[in-house]
Amino acid sequence: MRRPFGLLGTVAIAASVIGAGAAFAEKKTLFVGMASADAGKLDPHLTATTPDKGLLNWMFNGLVRIRPGQASPEFIEPDIAESWTSNAAGTEWTFHLRPGVQCHHDYGEFTAEDAAYSLRRAATKATSSFSSDFASLEKIEPLDKLTLKLTLKNPAPGFLGYLVNYHGGNMVCKKAAEEMKENFAKMPIGTGPFEFAEYQPQQFVKLVANKKYFRGVPQLDAIVYRYIPSNASRDLAFQSGELDLIYGRQEETWVERIAKLPGAKVATLELAEMSALYLNTAVKPLDDIRVRQAIAHAIDRQAIVAFKGRSTSRLAVSVVPSGYLGTDEHAPLYDYDVAKAKQLLAEAGYPNGVTVKAIHTTLPSMQEVIEVVQAQLKKANINLDVELVEHATFHQKIREDLSPIVHYQAARFPVADVYLTQFYHSRSQVGTPTAVTNFTHCSLADDDIDAARVEPDPVKQKALWKKAQDKLVKEVCGIPIYEQLQVWGWKDNLDLGYELKGSLNLSPPIIETTHFK
Amino acid sequence: MTAYIVRRSGLALITLLAVLTLVFVLVRIVPGDPAQVILGDQASREAILAMRVRLGLDRPLLVQYFEFLGGALRGDWGVSMVSGRPVIEEVMAVLPWTLELTLLSLLIGTGVGVPLGVVAAVHRNRLPDYGARIASLLGLSFPPFVSAILLLLLFAIVFPLFPVISATQGSLSAWLQAITLPAINLGLITAAYITRVTRSAMLEVFSEDYVRTARAKGVPWRAVVWRHALRNALIPVITIVGLYLSILIGNSVLTEIVFNRPGLGKLIVGALNQRDYTMLQGMMVIYTFMVVLVNLSTDLAYAAVDPRVKLQ
Repeated sequence: MRRPFGLLGTVAIAASVIGAGAAFAEKKTLFVGMASADAGKLDPHLTATTPDKGLLNWMFNGLVRIRPGQASPEFIEPDIAESWTSNAAGTEWTFHLRPGVQCHHDYGEFTAEDAAYSLRRAATKATSSFSSDFASLEKIEPLDKLTLKLTLKNPAPGFLGYLVNYHGGNMVCKKAAEEMKENFAKMPIGTGPFEFAEYQPQQFVKLVANKKYFRGVPQLDAIVYRYIPSNASRDLAFQSGELDLIYGRQEETWVERIAKLPGAKVATLELAEMSALYLNTAVKPLDDIRVRQAIAHAIDRQAIVAFKGRSTSRLAVSVVPSGYLGTDEHAPLYDYDVAKAKQLLAEAGYPNGVTVKAIHTTLPSMQEVIEVVQAQLKKANINLDVELVEHATFHQKIREDLSPIVHYQAARFPVADVYLTQFYHSRSQVGTPTAVTNFTHCSLADDDIDAARVEPDPVKQKALWKKAQDKLVKEVCGIPIYEQLQVWGWKDNLDLGYELKGSLNLSPPIIETTHFK
Repeated sequence: MTAYIVRRSGLALITLLAVLTLVFVLVRIVPGDPAQVILGDQASREAILAMRVRLGLDRPLLVQYFEFLGGALRGDWGVSMVSGRPVIEEVMAVLPWTLELTLLSLLIGTGVGVPLGVVAAVHRNRLPDYGARIASLLGLSFPPFVSAILLLLLFAIVFPLFPVISATQGSLSAWLQAITLPAINLGLITAAYITRVTRSAMLEVFSEDYVRTARAKGVPWRAVVWRHALRNALIPVITIVGLYLSILIGNSVLTEIVFNRPGLGKLIVGALNQRDYTMLQGMMVIYTFMVVLVNLSTDLAYAAVDPRVKLQ
């Protein structure tokens, strides 16, 4: 048995030497490892999954963008539109596009017609998952080749945020989308620094540099975006030098271990995903605020942050994640107080404790948290009866309103309105035709959320958002626990071309200046 | 022989039809909505309903069933709900990866397992037997993903001879580099099974009269073992290889995931996670077809190995 293996080994050594030489010569190709088994639907107006969003971000532009390396809308800057104006009420917006922006694969110059087509596509239910973001759009008019006018039904001061290269704000090229129809996801055509080149099922998507990119020819020649679902294999491939940039595990030990590897860097970045419990206030025993308050008092959030690791997680501050425009950074969250929790339960008529059911995903990173929560609640005589189900089943069951307590972890566009609307507005309540993710049956902040959305004065708008958050916290519609930052590792010879603090699409932007040193 | 093949093929067709129906029902019993999975967790109910219309999931189940059945009979498995690519295209893209891994690991398994089983039987209750039994026990006990990680740590990190990402095509050396570790990983587990079956089959054959007669006639021991005993012991070995080949196609999923290789196992797990009904239907039928084919080949192989077996 030794001889054939010896022969194989010899061949392998020779091949690895040749391979190493080739790899050295190919340092203009970036190899990325993503925690996913395969690509999803690569249509920017349809997909909202982290693995797909990151990749699409490198292929598409918006009319505007958030400065690379940042995640907050305060850093909005020109992208395809080089300038824009709006009336005082924020109901009319005029965008002046850059001349000479080219669509990938010779689909011609990007004009106001393309921008109008993109926005109509993004606003249409049949072609977009994000149509509700554009519900306020009344008219989309290309005034000339490079001028686009948008008219809104009502004032929407934060409307510009929907036009960044994220979700429905991604600009697609009309001719390509019309030609390819359903097949657009197989060959997405945008205007970004990298264009789609190849897809190998279960292996990778390859992008190549867009030589006609309006900000200049990218310094990287290509990106190979590999789908590697096994955490261990992804780490080993990074360690062996087969990957330059990897999606990390949101664990303290992972950060410490990878940071110690020679030539490796690790960064935690915004947007954080907030982990929270959503309590169905319409069912017993949670319809009693004292029971909800008891649960809030029984959760030791500091201990959970310590458990998750302080380098990758932090305390949640409100029902909206910290750092979002309009977050109340000092919301009146309930303190950890087991005695108080027991007292409240007794007052509510449950002196011997209470049992509440929760349907929960088997996703390990979330399951470990609910197990800690379960143990903490037990100390206050609250028995959390957790039914574990597979992830897709979890999403279906919680949307069928079957779980009185829902543990959910999410990041959203960083404006308070989005989180408040999706998780706490009655319009988003599960079981209704317009449902998104309001599992709480709370509607007490509806008026404040609606008023804030159209309030032109930023100070008054923030005050309205704060009022909404205070109400939701006090009524214990949701219990924010902790925030989980995104974790990425990369080789220190890779210069991203900007300082990475955050990313709206949860992965580092790869731009025209990204290069190997 | 011809009648036998026709009869077996007829049974196989009935099996396939039953499987088509079962598969259609099964994939829809599993909770989870493909539209929700495709659109992600931010999608509104309206967007999900619109996607269900696009995917054809709003139509009555019977309509969907007959469309699936009609398509299947025409050899059209439809398009993946997630990727939008034809199912057969996706399967054909990964099938060669699964076949090469399965066949090579089977080759390694047989090449190692049969001789080891014979040696263990010949040296029953002596050191080589104990060694073979412990080795096969280890092979059976080790989960394939653990052995895969260990192999990668050893031969891709400590001694960087092989790549971690084994999905490499191109030159022969690149192919060899890519396939070696995954094939060894699966092959050694297969060898563990085959070793045990071969050993017990050989021990049984050794107690037969014709073995004693052969030895009494002065036939050299080596010839008795390898020519007379082994040939008779091969029937149960072929059975286990046939059975194991079916399991191997499914078992390869963990090896595929850890070594980052495309494959049918990975495709089916991905389709299940994403509730990709069309892909699941196509995959399960193809998988069933392969299992039926393997079983049929196993039955036919009996006759080739043992002339006493008649195909009637």
